[in-house]
Amino acid sequence: MPAELAGYREWSGKTRSPWRASWSIVRTGVLMILRRWVFWLLIGLGLLNFLLNFALIYLKATLTIQNEAVGQFLDAYKVTGTGEAYADFMEGQATITALLLAFAGANLVGSDYRQGGMIYYLSRRIERRHYIVGKLMSVGAVVTMIATLPTIALFIEYGVLSSSLDYFFENGRILVGILGYGLVLAVVQSLLLFAIASWVHRAVPLVMCWLGVFVLLKLLADTARAISDDRRWLLLGIWENMDRVGSWCFGAGNPDKTPSVGLCLTVLVGLCIICLLVIVRRVRAIEVVT
Amino acid sequence: MSAPESPRTASPATAGAVAELRSVTKWYGPVIGVNDLDLTIGPGITGLLGPNGAGKTTLIKLLAGLLHPSLGKVTVSGRSAASSAAKEHIGYCPDVDAFYEEMSGRRFVRTMARLHGMSKSEAKERAEIALAEVGMTDRADRRLRGYSKGMRQRIKLAQALVHDPAMLIVDEPLNGVDPVGRRELMELFRGFRDRGKAVLVSSHILHEMDALAERVIFMGRGRILASGTLAEIREMLDEHPLHVRLRSSQARELAAQLIRWEDVKGIELRDEEEFSLEVRRPDAFFQRLGDFVVAESIDVSALETTDASAEAVFDYIMSSAARA
Repeated sequence: MPAELAGYREWSGKTRSPWRASWSIVRTGVLMILRRWVFWLLIGLGLLNFLLNFALIYLKATLTIQNEAVGQFLDAYKVTGTGEAYADFMEGQATITALLLAFAGANLVGSDYRQGGMIYYLSRRIERRHYIVGKLMSVGAVVTMIATLPTIALFIEYGVLSSSLDYFFENGRILVGILGYGLVLAVVQSLLLFAIASWVHRAVPLVMCWLGVFVLLKLLADTARAISDDRRWLLLGIWENMDRVGSWCFGAGNPDKTPSVGLCLTVLVGLCIICLLVIVRRVRAIEVVT
Repeated sequence: MSAPESPRTASPATAGAVAELRSVTKWYGPVIGVNDLDLTIGPGITGLLGPNGAGKTTLIKLLAGLLHPSLGKVTVSGRSAASSAAKEHIGYCPDVDAFYEEMSGRRFVRTMARLHGMSKSEAKERAEIALAEVGMTDRADRRLRGYSKGMRQRIKLAQALVHDPAMLIVDEPLNGVDPVGRRELMELFRGFRDRGKAVLVSSHILHEMDALAERVIFMGRGRILASGTLAEIREMLDEHPLHVRLRSSQARELAAQLIRWEDVKGIELRDEEEFSLEVRRPDAFFQRLGDFVVAESIDVSALETTDASAEAVFDYIMSSAARA
């Protein structure tokens, strides 16, 4: 079609910061997951867990007034509104997120390498660092969507259905804990997924690697600990490290337990730094692989 | 003069240069991608030709800011090609079909516009203009996975055009496109050129370069073997005299005269009315021939060059390069 018919006119608009362009990568990543029904199965599982807890909190608030035994029964399901209860809920949601990311990683990151799609990003007005941050945020957004936001919703529900709003003022630490645990999950999982997916691009090997990191390392940690009777071997279990640091954010967990929270945090920080180095190297490697 | 010995720029650098490479070398570890390139690309359509491994893709990626040169400097509109400021002026249409298949064409183009730093409303507006320009407005809501090869090429072009770049870089745009689609794409490139923009087209379809490109760059072994208009480059190939076919009712007499000229290397009579010549210094020859047939009132019914096409020039340059 000739340009005249197409209504062509020059563009003289102002471009915004490349960092804002990173949000497009986040939006694209999240929409890509939401468009596939396979991922909705796992999202639905997470939603189910959320709705169950949501309903239990509601039941506790309404039925306990009529029958205290119901309240005790629900407390057995950790519908207690304490930091420990939210930490448990987040761990459950994080498990679902990990499963989702195992399958979605090939689409979120792997496809950029496998099909050479990264050049579409990098030929735009963004640099490698914007691309990396955008991709990390898109994984982080998935984690936040499934683990952090539902927990905040439950926290608000519990507070609103309490007899007074004092719940919010007395439990500010819980909100910090939710955000802290969410941050740990988002940062560690996004860096780890990006690092693995930049090497292992296809879905099945990626699922095996991703789950292997959590499951096999945990088995290895338990075995090494049983043989040497040294609990520091448990530091190999990345999932447990995240859980310990996350629980610490809530003020829950035993601070005297070995390995200490400090050691767990050190391992996670070290892991994140290694992942970041791998990511930077792999994104630079686009010069060769494409 | 031997074609591959040194890069040749038959045309002087254009005053309004859009992109420049100065002493650019790119290494991939121990492998050299491009070697000491000096090149200026101005407005108009420039064809980039060369065999596999010649360094075309490396050159394109250097210009698109996807690669950093190991040595030298690549600038686009005066800025380093890898900078965000330079990328504002470049529209890159790669040869890979690496789309998010679940996306619609419209959303893909809008996303690319947003990645460029446009606001939502601007991205929407520019995407529609770009889609209209490539003739995809009414098919843009389909998912990319359902697109034919030609439609994919158009969508790729739309995302390259969406921010109205000063220079469009297209890698193998005519691959897999049917003849009608090719003609439309070539019209699109010409329209872009007519707006004073630069187009760099890498293609293996040489005969279409004849009709499309005003300037061509021949690459081989990571070097620029020759650059300029086809006629200029053809004239520089001393060791390959230009083949000219001439038809005249006085063919025998005319051939007898022409063989005495120093620019005519050889003549072969085909029949009583047609012969072919091998000519050095074509410009001087054609000037003299014109004057001669007018002065002598010789009837010439056909005159054409048979090996001045991109394909023929490409073959000559490559054969010279292989011997070098």
